[in-house]
Amino acid sequence: MAIPQQAPGSHDASAWPDRLATMLRARSDQLIVLAVLLAIWQGLSLWLGAYWVGTPWGTVTRLFSGVVSGDILRHSSYTLLEAALGFVIGGLPAAALPFALRRQPIATAILDPFMVGGYGAPKLALAPLFILWFGIGIESKVALVAITVFFIVYFSTQAGIRALDARLVVMAQVLGASERHVVRHIVFPGAVPYVFTGFRIAMPYSIGGAVIAELLSANRGLGYLIQLGAMNFDTTGIFVALTATACIVFIGNWSVNAVERRLLRWRPPSDAAAVAAPGS
Amino acid sequence: MTAQPLLEVRGLSKRFAARAGRDPSPWVIQNLSFSVSEGEFLTIVGPSGSGKTTLLNMLAQIDVASGGEVRFQSRAAPVGDPKALNPGLSCQIGYVTQEDNLLPWRTTIENVLFPLRVQGRLNDATRARAEMLIRTVGLAGFQDHYPHELSGGMRKRASLIRTLVYDPPVILMDEPFGALDAQTRTHLQEDLLRLWNLGRKTIIFVTHDIAEAIALGDRTLVLSRAPAQIAGEHAITIPRPRDVRGILTHPAFAGLYERIRAQVQ
Repeated sequence: MAIPQQAPGSHDASAWPDRLATMLRARSDQLIVLAVLLAIWQGLSLWLGAYWVGTPWGTVTRLFSGVVSGDILRHSSYTLLEAALGFVIGGLPAAALPFALRRQPIATAILDPFMVGGYGAPKLALAPLFILWFGIGIESKVALVAITVFFIVYFSTQAGIRALDARLVVMAQVLGASERHVVRHIVFPGAVPYVFTGFRIAMPYSIGGAVIAELLSANRGLGYLIQLGAMNFDTTGIFVALTATACIVFIGNWSVNAVERRLLRWRPPSDAAAVAAPGS
Repeated sequence: MTAQPLLEVRGLSKRFAARAGRDPSPWVIQNLSFSVSEGEFLTIVGPSGSGKTTLLNMLAQIDVASGGEVRFQSRAAPVGDPKALNPGLSCQIGYVTQEDNLLPWRTTIENVLFPLRVQGRLNDATRARAEMLIRTVGLAGFQDHYPHELSGGMRKRASLIRTLVYDPPVILMDEPFGALDAQTRTHLQEDLLRLWNLGRKTIIFVTHDIAEAIALGDRTLVLSRAPAQIAGEHAITIPRPRDVRGILTHPAFAGLYERIRAQVQ
């Protein structure tokens, strides 16, 4: 046979060193890319002057002192709180709604153009409106994050429910499954990968939405730090806030992936990438 | 044999709904009649595209007939209205499809226990039966593997015993061993005959392999090309228990094979 079939059930222990080598190789290459980016940054800083482009080293020392003094953590946790609240308030109903609409083709058809419109509308442009409605406190930021997350997760979950294998449903019915069983044992587990794809795509948007809402009006948060840096012509301050934002996104992404890996142990490893981006 | 057939098909016809603006689809099955008695192992052979799967779908009530009738224990299946269908007739008709249709997010044992779970019949006795079936078909040690970690033959075995575990009076099988290599197929045919000997279920087994139809069945029906009708009927008198591997050398085999092959167009 040209392609040797994997022995059934073997967790290919022999492939472990290979996989470890691949991982190490990826890590070392990532360090090279990071070094190149830092060099470009440093080059720009030297060329244009530290006044316009704060140096990497200055950013790192400021970030460090900010972390030590608790400033960065205070602002970061505020932004993170906004993003998390908005993520839950927008994401959970968005993940639940397509399940409720699964057997309601008429309601789905009625809602569809509004959902497409909502998905396509530039949500960030709603920020001034939310500030007028909800004030400059945490509410307006949470609202902006929630509406951004909602449409992404809604369409991703809907794609998962539409991709459902009808043969599995029919087979389950022949085996005696009721509609409740079908939802619990087939529709739900089948859609979970898509729900998580939605979560993974929405996660950076939730942080970004919170930061942008803070840019407009806030007295706390990473967006406020960016705005403050801009007003004081403190480019290093801006880079510090941006770096902190990137770190939060990085940690958020890692958490979503960790939960997903736990929930999707049943999938063959190669499938993981295949569902990475269902038609959004 | 009982006087009243367990399952009776009378003048059954099927055509799929026409697409908008097109001519009506041709008949897949037209005026098909046969009956199956309790405990019988009926095999049906026919060329590809002769409506074999469509026929089984109608018997299992996952597809609706366009005309004629299907009676199970003298009760008629609905005609024309898909909403009135009762898939599997309340777990009285089991169906082993061409694809294994295992739930990819459930382990082997959970897939096998699935019908018991949804039918509310999961208890120590039925669980023990599931374990026994898993051992019988050689899946012991693979209970906690997910379907993608099993070979094609193992998945097939799991899907077979998933139907056997809840003991439906009638089992439909749609070329269940079609996609397997000859060696695995022979193994599974032996497994199936052994399991059938334990319970003597009524089985309707569809295949395009004439040798398989002879090796397994009490009686073989030959379907014509679409629209499907009965092209021939053969009683398989080779005594049981049969040796699947040695059946080709049985004196009755060659004659049966020739007669059936002449009718499969």
